[in-house]
Amino acid sequence: MLIDTVIFLPLVTAIVLLFVPRTARSVLKAVALAGAVATFALSLAFLQLGPDTAADQSVPWISGTWLASYHVRIDALRIFFVLLTTLVGAVSIWAAFSYRDALRLRGFLCLLLAFETTLLGLFTAADLLLFYIYWDLMLIPVFLLLSGFSGSGEARRAAWGYLIYNGAGGLILLFGVVALVNQTHTFEVQGLTLALSPQMEWWIFAAFAIAFLIKTPAFPFHTWMPATYTYSPPPLVAMVSGVQSKAGLFAMLAFALPLFPHAAHTWAPLLLVLAIASVLYGALAAIGESDMKTLVAFTSLSHLGLVWLAFFAFDITSVSAGILMMISHGLIAAALFLLLGFIEERVGTRDLSQFGGLSLQAPRLAAFMLIAAMAALGLPGLSGFAGEFLILIGSWQTQPVYTSLALIAVVLASVYMLKLFQGTMHGPLRGSSPSGGLELKAREMWLVAPLLAGIIFLGVWPGWFNDKTPTTVTAPQASAQIGGTRG
Amino acid sequence: MMPLGISVSWPVLAPLSALAVGGLVIILVDLVTRNVHRNVLFGLGIVACLVSFATMLPLYGQSLVTLNGAYASDRFSWTFDAILLLTLVVTFLLSSLRKAEDGGNPGAFAALLIFCTIGGMVLAGAANLMILFLGIEQLSLSLYVLAGTGYPREASQEAALKYVLLGSLASGFLIFGSALLYGAAGSISISSLAPVAASLNALFVAGFALLLAGIAFKLALAPFHTWVPDVYEGSPLAITGYMAVAVKAAVFAVLARIVYTAFGHDSVALIPLWVVAILSMLVGNLGAIRQQNLKRLLGYSSIAQAGYIVLALSGVGRQGLSTMLFYLIAYAFTNLGAFAVMALLGDGADTYANLNEYRGLYFRRPWPAAAMALFFFSLAGIPATAGFYGKILLLQQALSGGPWGVAMAAALIVGTLISFYVYGKVVWNMYAYPSDEALAPTGNALAPWIAVAAGALGTLVLGILPQIFYASQPFLSVASR
Repeated sequence: MLIDTVIFLPLVTAIVLLFVPRTARSVLKAVALAGAVATFALSLAFLQLGPDTAADQSVPWISGTWLASYHVRIDALRIFFVLLTTLVGAVSIWAAFSYRDALRLRGFLCLLLAFETTLLGLFTAADLLLFYIYWDLMLIPVFLLLSGFSGSGEARRAAWGYLIYNGAGGLILLFGVVALVNQTHTFEVQGLTLALSPQMEWWIFAAFAIAFLIKTPAFPFHTWMPATYTYSPPPLVAMVSGVQSKAGLFAMLAFALPLFPHAAHTWAPLLLVLAIASVLYGALAAIGESDMKTLVAFTSLSHLGLVWLAFFAFDITSVSAGILMMISHGLIAAALFLLLGFIEERVGTRDLSQFGGLSLQAPRLAAFMLIAAMAALGLPGLSGFAGEFLILIGSWQTQPVYTSLALIAVVLASVYMLKLFQGTMHGPLRGSSPSGGLELKAREMWLVAPLLAGIIFLGVWPGWFNDKTPTTVTAPQASAQIGGTRG
Repeated sequence: MMPLGISVSWPVLAPLSALAVGGLVIILVDLVTRNVHRNVLFGLGIVACLVSFATMLPLYGQSLVTLNGAYASDRFSWTFDAILLLTLVVTFLLSSLRKAEDGGNPGAFAALLIFCTIGGMVLAGAANLMILFLGIEQLSLSLYVLAGTGYPREASQEAALKYVLLGSLASGFLIFGSALLYGAAGSISISSLAPVAASLNALFVAGFALLLAGIAFKLALAPFHTWVPDVYEGSPLAITGYMAVAVKAAVFAVLARIVYTAFGHDSVALIPLWVVAILSMLVGNLGAIRQQNLKRLLGYSSIAQAGYIVLALSGVGRQGLSTMLFYLIAYAFTNLGAFAVMALLGDGADTYANLNEYRGLYFRRPWPAAAMALFFFSLAGIPATAGFYGKILLLQQALSGGPWGVAMAAALIVGTLISFYVYGKVVWNMYAYPSDEALAPTGNALAPWIAVAAGALGTLVLGILPQIFYASQPFLSVASR
């Protein structure tokens, strides 16, 4: 029951909003924020789960051709993604308060809340059909938000890139899912040991992997990402880059690796190449980029490439560090994009060459920005370091060559993050001076603060995270078994 | 009393008879009372549908044949009859709108619609080639006239002319093919085709090819689809909706009966059908890309959707039938819903067939826009809609159907991806533009709202709780003859 409440509370809030008049803007904002915050508060209750306990609930749903259940579950793996979603969701709703278009505020809030429900559904789904439904359903709110609620022609075009790319990924995944279920006759695949023929396993894993690579995204399937991240309004991009980008990696861990361990090993060499390509390409592209949001988009590509490396190095340290890295990246990306959104609101441009020197007039904004940027480049004491360092230690055991290549990107990270920070904050004050002052307002400060607190908490005390995750894993199928025991 | 030695079971024929009586009553009322409001006549039509449905209820779950085995009433035809009656009711609702076209003669319009539906119901139960031809002709002849009821609009006359010319050609194929099949099998009963179908002699192949071509024309499968865009665009709005749903359902019923009684799913004779399906999925979706007229767009979409539905026949065993029925029901709710939204906004006229009129609709009329988005998402197969569950059933069916099945599954995936753009464009228009442009006024009558609500409810319920469909198991047996 509590799980259902957490999943559907945002959606119910969205439906309630539909009955509030469009002009009652303060009511709309209050109701939306109350719903999102209540969701976050309720999801905290699952923190009491130990590493080997789970909240599980299953209701028969479809029988006949195949079996499917409404099976939702929160366990030691899923709880972190649920918390990330509810936290970033609440923060994004609050950030949406500064949304300009009075006519569209209600639709904007409704779709953000609906998006949050699809994300929560995805991270709690234990049944493959349920999982797929949320996987595809999340296209709709993002497509509508981009096409109707972002207010620029570029965003409307980006909506198509997003829809077609992710739609293609979804259909390829559907192909794999149906081929799998044709063998199992049930969508309840968690914990099953399948007796698939090697070719069949190879094909189905390939279908899953392509869909996950597109969603994350990883090189060379990332071409939808820069436009989507750059032209989305800040609350949306915080949720897409902070949370949705984890969907593919989460599903790899929860479904694909435990189900297809052999094919995963067969495909690992290629996936490792793509991972390193993402890491390096993302870093280099970020260095050459002068649009600050596109820059951060490429850092996302680089950081999540590192998680792909972590998973397919098949080392226990690297896999659990990969999970830490995902959560950490979720917090960092959400914080960075929200802060960049505030900056864009103030200076009216995203081009780093058009402005600078904000720290002179906005020391608090600069301080917040500094924490987020330093976390992204992997400064010890912040969450980015913990994830990155443990991944590199772990994957060094099995993949020293790829790991050394990834180390280059760690150096490059300092280059692009310093470019971003110096370009915005340092130097003489340049660019058009806005009327309302540059400094963060109280609301803006308080809404980013929880994300930064999470970054610092995970950076100072990564042991808390490790204690929460199960440890009963042995090489060499480390990651596959992690998925198995947790799923 | 059995003249000519024909055994007649009136309860089995009651649904048809009830409709026929309804049609005649409408003509009489129209003759006797001059200037009666047309909605009275349409109301009578809806009453006839309800009576017909009431007489269907006792037949539920039974497997009966009558007219010496020529006409079957089984769970299979029962479900199709229900779809046809639902479509007819919706068509009456949409035709009752202020600006809806009826050719200036509502009595004939209503009666023809009813006779057309009788043809469809005959098709759903047709167990021999003669009845099949009768059903198709009854259906088509009425529709030729109905397509022209947009008179004096030129596009409507053009639609009627194109439809009748090409349709007669297809009928020629059908009757010639039937004659050859009779020659090959020595009987006009569909079940007697089974032995010759296995032997594949030349007479049978020629006959079946012609029959298939005729059926493909009626179903608008590529490459027999060229009439669709113009006929869909020119016909009155409600008639286009009726064509898209009822004609497809009725002809699919008879195609399924032929395939399932006469062939195994892996029969070589069916390969042309699979090729035609693959072509339809691609041609329909590609053709829809550039359409600016929603009726044309849905016409192309119906080509693609017909291709999808053929896929249901490729699988092993009776499950294909249930898949086909599920998809057809889903398609009926979705398409009728979409046409109802168009009719609602244009108050019966097809103003809102123009895609540009949807710009910013969400900000002027949020609820119709949301309903339209739901229907187009269902057509695209987005989860939590009936179209999605239908599509995974189709995929499952195809993937268990050998190499041709896999090829069709691949075409389904490619076609669906293209359709994301096609259907997405409609939704995009409603949400992406500001609402300050000067656009046509919108209607808000009750009758289409009923159809919209029914369509939305059906689309959502079948999408979220597909088990409802299985619980009634209406489809598992095709009556043996």
